[in-house]
Amino acid sequence: MQVRKPILAAKRRRQLHPFLYRIGPLGLSICSVLLVSLMAVLYLSQLSQAVTANQEISRLHRQAAALEREDQDLVYLIAQEQSPVYIAAHAKAMGLIPADPSTVIVLVVPHLKTIPPADQHMQP
Amino acid sequence: MNAELQRARHRQMFIFLLVSFGMLVLLGRLYYWQILQSHSGYNLAQRANDEHIQNQVLDAPRGLIFDSQGHILATNIIRDDVYVEPVQYSIDHTDNSQSDLNTLINSLHQVLPQVSTAKLQNAFSIGMAQGLWAVRVAVRIDPEQSQKLRDLQLSDVFLQPRTWRIYPGGPLAAQILGFVTQNDTNNHGVYGIEKQYDTLLEGTPGNFTAETDLQGNPLTVGANNEQPAISGANLTLTLDSTMEYMVENALADAVKKLQAQGGTAVVINARTGAVVAMAGYPTFDPNQYADYSNQRGCLGSEEVYFNPAIFCDYEPGSTMKAVTMAAALDQGLITPNTTFDDQGCISFPDVTEVCNWQYTAYGPETMTGVLIHSANVGAAYVAYNILGPDHYYPYLARFGFGQAYSIDGPEDPGSYRTPDNKATWTISDLTRQAFGESIFATPLQVAMAYEAIANGGVMQQPYLVQSINNNGHITTTQPVVKRQVISAHAAQLLTGMLEQAAIHGYAQLAQVAGYSIAAKTGTATTQGISADKTEASVAGFIPASNPQFVILVKIDRPTQKIYGSTAAAPLWGYIAQHLMWYYNIPPDQPL
Repeated sequence: MQVRKPILAAKRRRQLHPFLYRIGPLGLSICSVLLVSLMAVLYLSQLSQAVTANQEISRLHRQAAALEREDQDLVYLIAQEQSPVYIAAHAKAMGLIPADPSTVIVLVVPHLKTIPPADQHMQP
Repeated sequence: MNAELQRARHRQMFIFLLVSFGMLVLLGRLYYWQILQSHSGYNLAQRANDEHIQNQVLDAPRGLIFDSQGHILATNIIRDDVYVEPVQYSIDHTDNSQSDLNTLINSLHQVLPQVSTAKLQNAFSIGMAQGLWAVRVAVRIDPEQSQKLRDLQLSDVFLQPRTWRIYPGGPLAAQILGFVTQNDTNNHGVYGIEKQYDTLLEGTPGNFTAETDLQGNPLTVGANNEQPAISGANLTLTLDSTMEYMVENALADAVKKLQAQGGTAVVINARTGAVVAMAGYPTFDPNQYADYSNQRGCLGSEEVYFNPAIFCDYEPGSTMKAVTMAAALDQGLITPNTTFDDQGCISFPDVTEVCNWQYTAYGPETMTGVLIHSANVGAAYVAYNILGPDHYYPYLARFGFGQAYSIDGPEDPGSYRTPDNKATWTISDLTRQAFGESIFATPLQVAMAYEAIANGGVMQQPYLVQSINNNGHITTTQPVVKRQVISAHAAQLLTGMLEQAAIHGYAQLAQVAGYSIAAKTGTATTQGISADKTEASVAGFIPASNPQFVILVKIDRPTQKIYGSTAAAPLWGYIAQHLMWYYNIPPDQPL
């Protein structure tokens, strides 16, 4: 009768078998502690990253809120300074007076192209 | 089994039963707290969630309001309210409570001098007595004060940001814009555009749910849920703030100079119906609207917050003569040269006679002459003898009298008696309505009647909102023809008559050098009150040859000069002049 050669996987398993089963209680304990420690380190590392990320997100939220507030203040400031009320008050403070229609001379220049307002690009 | 083993087994069993009993007790207790008291009774789950889960409402920024040039008329700012935490303070400070509190109060008072130490002391005392976790001690503090408080990092004090509506131009266009009432939970538009478009402007609030740390800071990592807020729509109005400011200032100056009770001015684009400027006096500052709660507009009959151009009706007086002439011209019943004999007064069956001002008799007089002289007799003659009720009243309706325009804001439709109601209507109503008495109209209605004449007989729908930008979805208002009121030919004839009336009649002070104008004055008195208490007005358009703007000005009860020709005409001319300059409209007359 011909004896068949064991397949490679079985051979390897047989080679490993003694190692796996020869670990003693001390070794097992050390391995367990190491494994648990590793898991704990990994967990703490993840937690630390999460906390850092949370802090970073919170900081960015606060920064976004501060920037939004600053943006609204600047929009308000621009709106205020563009307001005719503000411009007229400043013109008056600079000593300018409203034009007297009776002293204004209107000159008509045929075919003159009008100049678009400087802030035309700001029109919504 | 020997006795030793038997005893050991009994001991084991006893210990097992003891442990089992203990476990059962614990399980029972666990069942009580975890199951029975979790969602009812003490509602522990809810209380736990309340402690470590934060549900925050995210305010939607209210939409901005722009003028036609892109300048902001209404925007938002964020400012902080200051809160103290009395209960937390009492927990944190069991020793030296009063001395620590005094230190805290002094620190707060140094940053917030507007809040007295007594008020701060009171906030803590009442808060502690009533078990209040947070008491607000200051509202809308300055950014510098917010920064100082943040730097101080005072315990048991926190800042709560809040969005506020603000109007950079102050009183500019206040009666058109309205304002927003603001409380802790809701902001609502009141009056004007803010009210009319409140739903669109306010947007949709979002919410943010997350677990919090010990300090109450949301943990953004982990289970959280955020529904972002959707900003309100931005509105662009047809108003030009430069012209609005000019008109408001000119009106205010005129009212003060004439020692009048108030006034209204309206500028309409003659071709589109877009409102370029709309001013009322007295007016208010929407940033401090509460300060104006006792002030009245509309001759003291309404709150100052209402827009008088669309909400306050009046008897238009002689400006209505153009409407009477329009009705007769359109039906081919008169021409500008149709003549009648003006004896200064005219009688009608069963009603009071109608007389000209100072009973002046003009003798043979053309229809153009009626407008030049502003002859009541001529207008009443046309209405009664030429038109009659059947040919007159349909034209009042076509010109939009007695009907609201559905323009933005609370609107008065005006009123007048018609033959449909025989119980109240008399011939006298017809003859007086012909020259603007016994009919109530808003300044906008009168302006729109002239707009129809200026625009070749076609009345446009007046509008204030040019476009709505709802988060990128833009809706633009296109000019809409409301109706053909009179024929283009009749409008042309009437424009010529009004031009003559402005040159030779009472609107001479409204003339603008280099430009033709078509305008009619009006001086209305109210029955039952002194005849010198007038409503002086001028309605018309410029340039008459190619109308660009319709202008109506009305001065309520002026005392220095009381007639349309003297009180309102100079203001009309001033506004017209500035419109021509500002929009670079070339003169149509030799300078």
